[in-house]
Amino acid sequence: MKEININVEHLTRVEGHGNIVLNAKNGKVEKVMWEVSEAPRLFEAFVRGKPYHQLAQITSRICGICSIGHTLASLKATEAAMDIEISPQSELLRRLAIHGENMQSHILHLGYLISPDLFGTGSVVPLVRTHTDAVLAVVKLHRLSNEFSEVVCGRTTHPTNLIPGGFYKTPSPLKLKEYRQKLLDSVETANLVAGIILDNAGALPDFTRETEFIALTAKDEYALYDGLIGSTDAGTYPVDEYVDVVNEFVVPQSTAKYCKNKREAFMVGALARFNLNYDHLSPLAKQWAKKFGLKPVCHNPFMNNVAQLVEFVHSIEDSVSLIDRLMEDYKDEPRPEITPKAGRGVGVVDVPRGILFHEYVYDKDGYCASANCVIPTNQNHNNIQHDFEAFAPSLLDKPEKEIELNLEMLVRAYDPCISCSTHFLNVEWKR
Amino acid sequence: MKIIINDIELECKEGQKVLDVARANGIHLPTLCFNPLNPTARPAGCRLCVVEVLEGGRPGLQSSCTLPATEGLKVSTKSRPVYDQRREVVELLLSEHEQDCRNCFVSGDCVFSELCREYDINGVSVCSECPKRRQGCLLSRGVLCLGPITYANCDAFCTRRGYKCEGCHSVMKNEDLLRFGLAAFAKAEFTRDEILEATRVFSFEGVHVLEKVMTEEGFK
Repeated sequence: MKEININVEHLTRVEGHGNIVLNAKNGKVEKVMWEVSEAPRLFEAFVRGKPYHQLAQITSRICGICSIGHTLASLKATEAAMDIEISPQSELLRRLAIHGENMQSHILHLGYLISPDLFGTGSVVPLVRTHTDAVLAVVKLHRLSNEFSEVVCGRTTHPTNLIPGGFYKTPSPLKLKEYRQKLLDSVETANLVAGIILDNAGALPDFTRETEFIALTAKDEYALYDGLIGSTDAGTYPVDEYVDVVNEFVVPQSTAKYCKNKREAFMVGALARFNLNYDHLSPLAKQWAKKFGLKPVCHNPFMNNVAQLVEFVHSIEDSVSLIDRLMEDYKDEPRPEITPKAGRGVGVVDVPRGILFHEYVYDKDGYCASANCVIPTNQNHNNIQHDFEAFAPSLLDKPEKEIELNLEMLVRAYDPCISCSTHFLNVEWKR
Repeated sequence: MKIIINDIELECKEGQKVLDVARANGIHLPTLCFNPLNPTARPAGCRLCVVEVLEGGRPGLQSSCTLPATEGLKVSTKSRPVYDQRREVVELLLSEHEQDCRNCFVSGDCVFSELCREYDINGVSVCSECPKRRQGCLLSRGVLCLGPITYANCDAFCTRRGYKCEGCHSVMKNEDLLRFGLAAFAKAEFTRDEILEATRVFSFEGVHVLEKVMTEEGFK
């Protein structure tokens, strides 16, 4: 029998550094491992001793793609700690911000990182020649999402407009109206891209492993900005109890911590949100889910890609209706004034890659005493490892190249943002 | 045959140039010999590899790539005249260059940004790019904008849109430029602690220089 040794050191088309190791002998898997080799980031230590108004600026630098999500989680934690209330208008605008980021991140992942797998090329560059229209459509949508984020947040990456208590400057209503129209016009382009992905969705392997899904849930909306922590296994938890949900622990092969809740692992991300909040999706998003045959609860991690596409369409439609709600009574709000006080606060938002927690403790002058950030990809690592263990044995008959590709696709489906997820090594987890 | 570079006696062969000897012995001399950035593209065209001849030849600055190694030659690669000459050369090359490399902080193997760092060629502050520096300056409206002491090359992205500069391109490391910037803060009545706290988010080395300048100037 043949011997298989696969070692993908530094998987490509993901953010950060991760390795795949597979050793098999005589048709049996001896070792299959998802290794995270990224260096620790130490952000939780950076922010200690910093004043409250700098925290969002610093923690947004954890990631270049989810910087808006990190900013919002950070602001929510600060606001919870200091009992700051934000105006309904600011809250709606923040929901727009998160939609902008969701669109930007999802189209980047699907269009540039996943499409090469579907078309069997090594990167998106050869596709420019063969599928010019599709690539241009993706670029158009990506650009629109980025510009939309800039209108709301001041900057596409590392936003400057989002500050504790609301907004530094109320976004211009004229610009918002302009982008409402642009978003409506983009539905057609989104349908085109979705259609092309649907035609090639056969390349996504059919693999199912039952797992737990965790995401934000709310009674009356597709929760991204606010809600309770929901689990497909255990109902809902209050946000403050997030530590008991994620249960972080350290493993030798990874510089990122692993997580688990009711089962051996759980998954967060677009698919988790889809599974938990399907009812609140917009009509067009539901249509596309139906075309792909995606129904809750779906246990195929590869369908995370499709869930992202569905969410992309949902974000367009929901943004349009949010702007309509905003325009009913849009005011130029003054910059919020804040009196710092001591306290502990947890902020949670569902960012493109899953549920994100920030927790801060402040002293009476508003200086950070301690911080904890639990990043979505962090919570997915354990599930990737368990998926590997279940998926690898079924692949052994295939040629080595194909096994490698399938394992890589599995990791990519999670849209991991590895460099975000590595932090704080020397924590001992006790049962 | 032996020559002396920076007081070190080095073995060399007939026909070798001083540059070859220096390189063979691990002494760094900047060159742009085959670099497309070099506008003249002929031998001894970039003038970056100049050394100062101290003994055994015509005294003064000569390009090491054309200077033959001869017995008893004594040169220096890091004397003050050499440094000044190279600095001037880089500044002249930059004047013809499309991008402003002085403030560039993009990492990578860019020769010019390396040279700017090595020869302390400093850039300008965010204020120089800011369209609001006269009317509507954020500092004059009481916002702690770090523009005056932060390296430019961002086209004043934030201040252009009405947000204060957070100093993400790092605080400048040149004392004269910092002194100039501090005057703007003094006018706006910001205190030493407020400014230092704001700069510590993105800068490290620059903050030390800033602290030193503040102490010298008696900035409170």
